[in-house]
Amino acid sequence: MNRRIFNSLRWAFPMLIVGGVILIFPDIFSVKDKDSFYVEEVKPIINKKCISCHGGVKQSAGFSMMNRASFFKKNESGKPAIDISNPSQSELLARINHADPMERMPSEGKPLSSREIKIFEKWVDLGAPWGEHWAYKALSPVKIPSNTSWMGIFGGNKEKENAVDAFIQQKLNENNLKLNPAADKETLLRRVSLDLIGVPAPKDIADKYLKSTSPDAYKMLVDDLLKLPQFGEKWASVWLDIARFADSKGYEKDGNRQIWRYRDWVIQALNKDMPYNQFITEQIAGDLLPNPKDEHFIATAFHRNTPTNDEGGTDDEEFRTAAVIDRVNTTFEGLMSTTFACTQCHGHPYEDIKHEEYFQFLAFFNNTRDEDTVEEFPVIRHYEKTDSLQLLDLVAWVKKTATPKRADEIYSFLKFLQPLVYATHADLFVNSELYDTKYLVFRKKSSARIKDVVLNGEVRFIAQQRGNSKKGKLTIRLDSLRGKVLGQFNIPSTEGKWAFTPFEIQPVYGKHDLYFSYENASLTSDTESGFTLNSFHLDHAFPGNEGDPSKKTMDSLYWTLLRKNPPNTPIMMDNKAENVRKTQVFIRGNWKVKGEVVSPGIPKVLSNSFNLTKPNRMGMAEWMTDKRNPLVSRTLVNRLWEQLFGTGIVETLEDFGSQGTLPSHPELLDYLSWQFMNKHRWSIKSSLKEIVLSQTYRQSSVVTTEKLKKDPNNRLLSRAPRIRLSAEQVRDQALHVAGLLSNKMYGPSVMPYQPEGIWASPYDGNKWKLSEGEDKYRRSIYTYYKRSSPYPSQLTFDGTGRNVCNARRIRTNTPLQALVTLNDPVFMEAATHFGQKMLENPGLSVNDRIQHGYHILLNKPISPTLLQPLVKLYKDSKAYYKSHSELVNEIQLENPDVEDAAFALVANAMLNLDVIITKN
Amino acid sequence: MNNKRLSLAEEAHLLDAQLATRRLFLKQCSMGLGALAFSPLINACTSDANGSSNTLFDPTKPLLPKTPHLPGKAKSVIYLHMAGAPSQLELFDYKPELKKLDGQLCPESLLKGKKFAFIRGVPKMLGTIGEFKQRGQSGAWVSHYMPHLAGVADELSFLKAVHTDQFNHAPAQLLMQTGSARLGRPSLGSWVTYGLGSENANLPGFVVLTSGGQNPDAGKSVWGSGFLPSVYQGVHCRSHGEPVLYLDNPANVDGNMRKASIDAINQANKETYKEFNDPETLSRISQYEMAFRMQISAPDVMNISDEPAYIHEMYGTEPGKESFANNVLLARKLVEKGVRFVQLFDWGWDVHGNSTDTSLEIGLVNKCKQIDKAITALILDLKQRGLLEETLIVWGSEFGRTPMHRILSCRW
Repeated sequence: MNRRIFNSLRWAFPMLIVGGVILIFPDIFSVKDKDSFYVEEVKPIINKKCISCHGGVKQSAGFSMMNRASFFKKNESGKPAIDISNPSQSELLARINHADPMERMPSEGKPLSSREIKIFEKWVDLGAPWGEHWAYKALSPVKIPSNTSWMGIFGGNKEKENAVDAFIQQKLNENNLKLNPAADKETLLRRVSLDLIGVPAPKDIADKYLKSTSPDAYKMLVDDLLKLPQFGEKWASVWLDIARFADSKGYEKDGNRQIWRYRDWVIQALNKDMPYNQFITEQIAGDLLPNPKDEHFIATAFHRNTPTNDEGGTDDEEFRTAAVIDRVNTTFEGLMSTTFACTQCHGHPYEDIKHEEYFQFLAFFNNTRDEDTVEEFPVIRHYEKTDSLQLLDLVAWVKKTATPKRADEIYSFLKFLQPLVYATHADLFVNSELYDTKYLVFRKKSSARIKDVVLNGEVRFIAQQRGNSKKGKLTIRLDSLRGKVLGQFNIPSTEGKWAFTPFEIQPVYGKHDLYFSYENASLTSDTESGFTLNSFHLDHAFPGNEGDPSKKTMDSLYWTLLRKNPPNTPIMMDNKAENVRKTQVFIRGNWKVKGEVVSPGIPKVLSNSFNLTKPNRMGMAEWMTDKRNPLVSRTLVNRLWEQLFGTGIVETLEDFGSQGTLPSHPELLDYLSWQFMNKHRWSIKSSLKEIVLSQTYRQSSVVTTEKLKKDPNNRLLSRAPRIRLSAEQVRDQALHVAGLLSNKMYGPSVMPYQPEGIWASPYDGNKWKLSEGEDKYRRSIYTYYKRSSPYPSQLTFDGTGRNVCNARRIRTNTPLQALVTLNDPVFMEAATHFGQKMLENPGLSVNDRIQHGYHILLNKPISPTLLQPLVKLYKDSKAYYKSHSELVNEIQLENPDVEDAAFALVANAMLNLDVIITKN
Repeated sequence: MNNKRLSLAEEAHLLDAQLATRRLFLKQCSMGLGALAFSPLINACTSDANGSSNTLFDPTKPLLPKTPHLPGKAKSVIYLHMAGAPSQLELFDYKPELKKLDGQLCPESLLKGKKFAFIRGVPKMLGTIGEFKQRGQSGAWVSHYMPHLAGVADELSFLKAVHTDQFNHAPAQLLMQTGSARLGRPSLGSWVTYGLGSENANLPGFVVLTSGGQNPDAGKSVWGSGFLPSVYQGVHCRSHGEPVLYLDNPANVDGNMRKASIDAINQANKETYKEFNDPETLSRISQYEMAFRMQISAPDVMNISDEPAYIHEMYGTEPGKESFANNVLLARKLVEKGVRFVQLFDWGWDVHGNSTDTSLEIGLVNKCKQIDKAITALILDLKQRGLLEETLIVWGSEFGRTPMHRILSCRW
């Protein structure tokens, strides 16, 4: 702080100094310190009124307000906008106050309001302090406020004290508000169960808690819930929105994608409470870990959830690039609450992030082997158990017989089909074609080229090919159609199926263009295709000494394993050193117009002096999980908070930048983030536990008129929020109370009931085929997610499209949602079974039956005022169904009677009650 | 309370009475519930914290028609959003000079005086392919891509000053429809429905219809209600099959039983409101009423097969098919029934010329064919019904195109 200005302030403004830090300007605004004055008062005006002409995109008159240096630089007028030695004479103040509208700033639109002008004047007087934006400051330990009334609320019970409450109570005190009393036990049970495991608690855990008189009962309940495997399913739902996980590839064709093993990985990782730093490291760079295991590769499918475009005629490079860009944007928006996407085309309009910095970050992702191919290469192949054991035998044998390097090469090809040269790189077609822009098709007399193939003296050309003719001959030459012959071979028929076929080639070294020419006299017309090449692998001779009997066995095992077609999962894998992809700036975001070459790097404003040592995804992960990273832990705890309280401490989960909202409780956010990294060692479960044990979380959600007035949006948390259940929870709860919900975990996606005519998948013949048995009733997280046509009821309840990272679901309340829970056959079926539950105990009165049902739903007695309309519905419907047996017969039960029909209807109504659709 | 079943109207009166006292409070507290929902906005926009005492939002009748401050001519809006970037230079914005400059480097006069973020080198100009003629009495320029629309040029106003600072479709769509490129702001349709209510209590006030095979890139947020009460968000209707998914009752429930069960649900939810005071509960009550009313009214309105043959001929509609034309005809039916805001999204207009579907020669021609006749029919049809005077039809997109060759991004 500039001492001279500080002193001059003392008489310039009435001011209070509290604790040496907090300055209060009672005339128009109260601010904590000079830096926050900039962040909270000045920067919003700049963003709104100035920056579109004087920012990262445009710098009219050579003046930019993007950062301190650009602000104080001499602009085209030859002067800086603010003269620090003579602040009151600053050009900035003159221009915003100018009487001549031609001279006045902003040059378009209304002049600044008198309040805005006063803010600028004050700011200039303060010496134009340039506060760092809150979200980009590195975290440091936060002092827990100690205020007496906070201590008081626990009646001196130390055990119950919780730092979260201290921060919340401090703000409430400032506003003369208090926390609500604790919610009743039953309400809290349902609330914390829905929040931690996504469904009501299992009966034994619920009963144990409700019967317990221990002061620790609630804490034990939380511990019990955190141990349940359903925990991972609930929180994976949250993560999969960020990961834009879907079972289809997206875009126009939107074919099937096998990537469900990634979902299993997420559920398992969350269940074992994998530290969050490891959780994101494995997803971003699992393949780059030392000795990566299968699950590390599967974790990297996180960034293979990008859509791929199989439509014929599309440019693979365009969509490869789109995927890489999406990875950058997802990493920033989902994991670091930063809108980075706008920096694709130009400097960030609002934050101090440069255009080049986008591409430096993109360079981390730009060297991966995926190229928008239809097979989704590279993949990890999941051999069946015996096959995978045989693979290990084979690799061990190679290691012993030849070298560890050879063993690695053979393992890599069998396990990942890498390295592989994709035929999509072909050009110079003569009577050949890149059919559907996917496969290289050769005809009667044809040729094509594949450029820049690195040869290392390999002697085998293993082609992934198919064809019907036995008579074709392929010749591969180096660097021209008349160049040195690398190999010449007869192509066998594969009877139209894709097959790996080995051919002998001459050992050659260096980077060469390969010219392929194909001749086949047996083809009758020029347009008939003879042989189709999809990709090829170059390999050395199979190891082992001639005459060694094990060589023959192992060689044959190699081919058996290669030709197996086990299921696979797309993964991340980098190009080898000789094929590293160069990254260039896309000028104005146009991927076809490339500018300067850049290497991997981190935006300066976010680096907090972190020193990048590995210029790859692992280095990036190290930066993200470094404690100096200002955003990763803030983003995560804010997301946990949002899941529990309905609104984040920062409401804009997708944007912590200066265009996002400010945190409602900045110290609490920083406290939780610091705790998360340090005390909880990145444990999501521990952080959740700390929050749900707070009185803030446990208070009742009843709102008084006073609170509604003082805290209309509940940003101060003067009460627990009431939140409509998520798409997944609404369905899972209905299945659960009906006794239908399957607790089967993991595996491929399932297809529960869906109306006809929702799906259109004209290309791959993929159909919505109703799953059998319990698979119809799995938790919603396992429902097949087709990008172009997501499961309708999930979408109606604000499920996301899963095309791009979605950092926040906006909750809505619409008649369409009512129609789902009233009429969707899935909900009617659940209601029918739930009705049967109410009927299962013989001899009960109607009131008792409904009471029983309500107890299943909420674990508590129904109030007479809620019971009355339901009993009436029962009576009216029973009378009605007596004379409408045709309706009764439609009930999906064996020999349904009037009682079944009436209870199905009552159950259907109960599943639609506000208290049931809402977390109370 | 006695056991006599109430009609929906009686129900509404009862609800009114029960909530009257609560409403009084809410009115006193600033501007009622609606105001509570958007108080951050009001605080941000005006320094007057008290505002007026005119309650815009009656929680029990959120879609009640309201009188605007100033009399307006238009009663309803049909907003036709071509998702992507139809080239204004090919359709309505005649640039003869551009044609001459085709293939040449971008002249200095275009770049001079403007600061472009990271322009390096000089792009080439792209001349228009569209053959322009002056049309009607106004002499408006309309190209050959829109032969039918050209015939009604005198009914059109052209706004050639629209500007965006967004660079990607999804945020740009959000910007066009919500005024902000970030998630969470109310869409135009939800603002209009919020401010004016709707003339038909049995249909949503704000209906969304999509065509072109995909929904807009930005998803449902482009018709979301942001911080306004969620009752004002657009209701997405299906172009084929059940017009609104799950509109039909399950086989074991008929209209009478559905009504009885909704009565019971809302009765119970009113009790819940008394307990928690949560405004969302009131919203839920009205959503269930609306759902029931939609069940009755929507099938008729959403069925175009009863329209006479000449209407189908005029619009180019084929009942049962998903098409923009069908949606345009539906839009007419909906505004005729008093729906306040009908929003159409047609996907596939990102004609930046890198593939067949996005080429000016084929892609744009095809897209124009899909809309030209239908929009023209809409104008003529509304006119012959006397509705054009009170219906605002907006045609637009989130982007236009730059006059440069093969430059994909950065519209300014």
